[in-house]
Amino acid sequence: MRSLAILGVGFALALALPVAAQNVEPKDPKKRHPAIGNPEAIAAGKKIFSGSCAVCHGPEGQGGRGPNLRQQVMWHTLTDEDLFKTIHTGVPGADMPGSNLPEEQVWQLAAFVRWLTSPAMEAPPPGDVAAGEALFWGKGQCGNCHRVLGRGGMLGPDLSNTGARRSVEQLREAVLDPDADGFPGYRGVKAVLKDGRAIQGVARNRTNYSLQILDSKGALHLLPMSAVKELTLSAHSPMPGDYKTRFSRQELDDLVAYLSRRSVRPYEPSSETK
Amino acid sequence: MMSRLITLLLAGAFAGAALAQVRYEDLLAGPGKDWLTYAGDYRGTGHSQLRQITPANAGSLAPRWVYHVPKSNGLRTRPIVHDGVMYVTNTNEVRALDASTGRLIWEFKDTRAKKENVNRGAAILGDRVFFVTADIHLTALDRRNGSVLWQKKYGRIEEGMFSSAAPLAVKDRVIVGVAGGDTGMRGYVAALSASTGEELWRFYTVPAKGEPGSETWGDYAEWGGAATWLSGTYDPELNLLYWTTGNPWPDFYGGDRKGDNLYSCSVIALDADTGKLKWHFQFTPHDTHDWDAQAWPVLVDLPYKGRPRKLLLHANRNGFFYVLDRVDGEFLHATKLVDKLDWASGVDAKGRPILAPGKDPTPEGNRVCPGVRGATNWMSPSFNPATGLLYVTALEQCDIYTSSAKKPEPKKNFSGGGAGPKPVDLGQFFLRAFEPSTGKRVWEYPMTGPAETWAGSISTAGGVIFFGDDDGHLVAVDARDGKHLWHFQMGEGLTASPITYEAAGKQHVAIASATAIFSFGLFEPMVPAPLPVVRKAP
Repeated sequence: MRSLAILGVGFALALALPVAAQNVEPKDPKKRHPAIGNPEAIAAGKKIFSGSCAVCHGPEGQGGRGPNLRQQVMWHTLTDEDLFKTIHTGVPGADMPGSNLPEEQVWQLAAFVRWLTSPAMEAPPPGDVAAGEALFWGKGQCGNCHRVLGRGGMLGPDLSNTGARRSVEQLREAVLDPDADGFPGYRGVKAVLKDGRAIQGVARNRTNYSLQILDSKGALHLLPMSAVKELTLSAHSPMPGDYKTRFSRQELDDLVAYLSRRSVRPYEPSSETK
Repeated sequence: MMSRLITLLLAGAFAGAALAQVRYEDLLAGPGKDWLTYAGDYRGTGHSQLRQITPANAGSLAPRWVYHVPKSNGLRTRPIVHDGVMYVTNTNEVRALDASTGRLIWEFKDTRAKKENVNRGAAILGDRVFFVTADIHLTALDRRNGSVLWQKKYGRIEEGMFSSAAPLAVKDRVIVGVAGGDTGMRGYVAALSASTGEELWRFYTVPAKGEPGSETWGDYAEWGGAATWLSGTYDPELNLLYWTTGNPWPDFYGGDRKGDNLYSCSVIALDADTGKLKWHFQFTPHDTHDWDAQAWPVLVDLPYKGRPRKLLLHANRNGFFYVLDRVDGEFLHATKLVDKLDWASGVDAKGRPILAPGKDPTPEGNRVCPGVRGATNWMSPSFNPATGLLYVTALEQCDIYTSSAKKPEPKKNFSGGGAGPKPVDLGQFFLRAFEPSTGKRVWEYPMTGPAETWAGSISTAGGVIFFGDDDGHLVAVDARDGKHLWHFQMGEGLTASPITYEAAGKQHVAIASATAIFSFGLFEPMVPAPLPVVRKAP
């Protein structure tokens, strides 16, 4: 009898879930909720987030008692609708409670959380793009190492597509704290070879047995480690770490506005964040 | 130390880039230390000048490295190698590997591409790597660090197409094609500027209404297919590109497209500067068996009936091996590539098949030979100038072909029927060596396996032929007599053809398995390496 009762509850849930889901699942999978990617909804969501969510997730979503919401790895499998449901109903068994907010405000929160990890191009931030471009190639000297569509230096990551691949917050962090992502493939390196030559550049890859250095002239040096007498690795990213003091707040916003719009293809929203 | 290291790095950042350029002349020279085009050379011979590996030492070949391509499945890529760097593609991706060690140098992923499909490889010219995304964008990358220079859309997926072929760099341009002929589309070959991506010319493989050849179609010429999904070959002296074309659509039902359906199932010779059609030869007029002509037109200069001629050799999916004069397309002769061939009793004096009655697909199913995979397919053939032999991967198989007279609907995965073998009637692959001027079979190497391989062969000046077999082995045989020399089990079915190159002074042989790139070299005992001295700057 008891098992029958449990079965009954389960059956009722099974019936109820699809009905509840109808509120949040759009009929056309390519059509997103209007709040997602909408700058006003994102701003409104940020406001609610600061009051209700930041205490656990951090004021910028960087995590604390609750998970870091800016790490794509945590969220990449969630659809917009999953995100809405998580905020709406909470996470059973964890400390995250459900929300009593009206549906529109839950969507605004979802828009903000999605924006934290969405490509910057999806909802590019305000700022003077032309001034940011001038900074990039001028005062900031970013173009000495970074490239945009074939213009610029060789050592740093290509930024031609960066607005379509990184979120606004990731871009800002990359400028202010170049060490934050561990700079894989871009560690400064000096190799003194057994034949006396010295090669400097970034180690695109390295093992105990081989070394692949890209030097500042764009030449690749493919070396067996048996040819290397001594190797010196930098502890920090080759990118200067003082942009926080070198740039004003407005200049930083302008630069991020410029970077956010770098995409080889015209930006077209996808149905889900991949 | 650290700040000095960074300062030194930045100081040189804008200095002129030192990079060995890949010149057009290098591409003309064909494979030496490098493997510079999808087919190895413009003539499609798949023959390398490397000779470190010989029949005497091939038995000591051993794996040197493996690179697993992340999230890959059924890799179709054939690597390009230049100056110790290997470029491999996967769907919407290119990676540069250290060709001595297999270590990743850079990767480019087009995460915004709107389609996924197989990719057969890249092209290089100057300081650039070119490849096509599945959604038909030719993409130019800087070879040094994989930074993107431009993308040029040259077709619309909304018109039923996608893109998969390795581009072919010729002079100052990049030649590309399109795929999708099984669901209705209109094929073309296009030339884009290697510096800007600007489209220089386009040749449609299905003529527009009113153009010559349009009378060979019924109502469906607009969606007639004749896709161009494999790179072609090029004769620099004649300045002609030779491109093979795919099936007419719908594949298995021809009732709505009465006529020869030009230029499907053909080889077309195009002027590389203008894209103008110089000549064409249709192997399978009005095809109803999905026998795309995609296989290399191999270009060789040989005596033919007593006088030197510029020949085009072509082993076709329809079961015949053709020899044409590549100056004007004159048909010289055709012989049987396979024994299981019953749809035609032969070809006439002009090379047109003499049809056997009752060999069209039927609603009930009709057994026809060869099968739908073809007597050969896009797997690479190879030609060895020392033996004078052409090496072709051939499949002896018959299939049951069915047809549907349903009204064709383009872009709806409709092909007008289908085909496949009965399990009890499964075929067998062979590597066959042919004498080109006569079509005579000199030797053959039978394979075991599920009759599913897509791997072809390469030839080397060392006298060794390498090919992928139907059971997932890379195999080495003697070019003269097909005698087994060596094999290696790769652990999965093979879906691409091998290459050979030299890195760090050693000849390597590489091939993509379904999910990884394998590279082999002659065995050398390893010299113990002490751990390197590594300092960390503060």
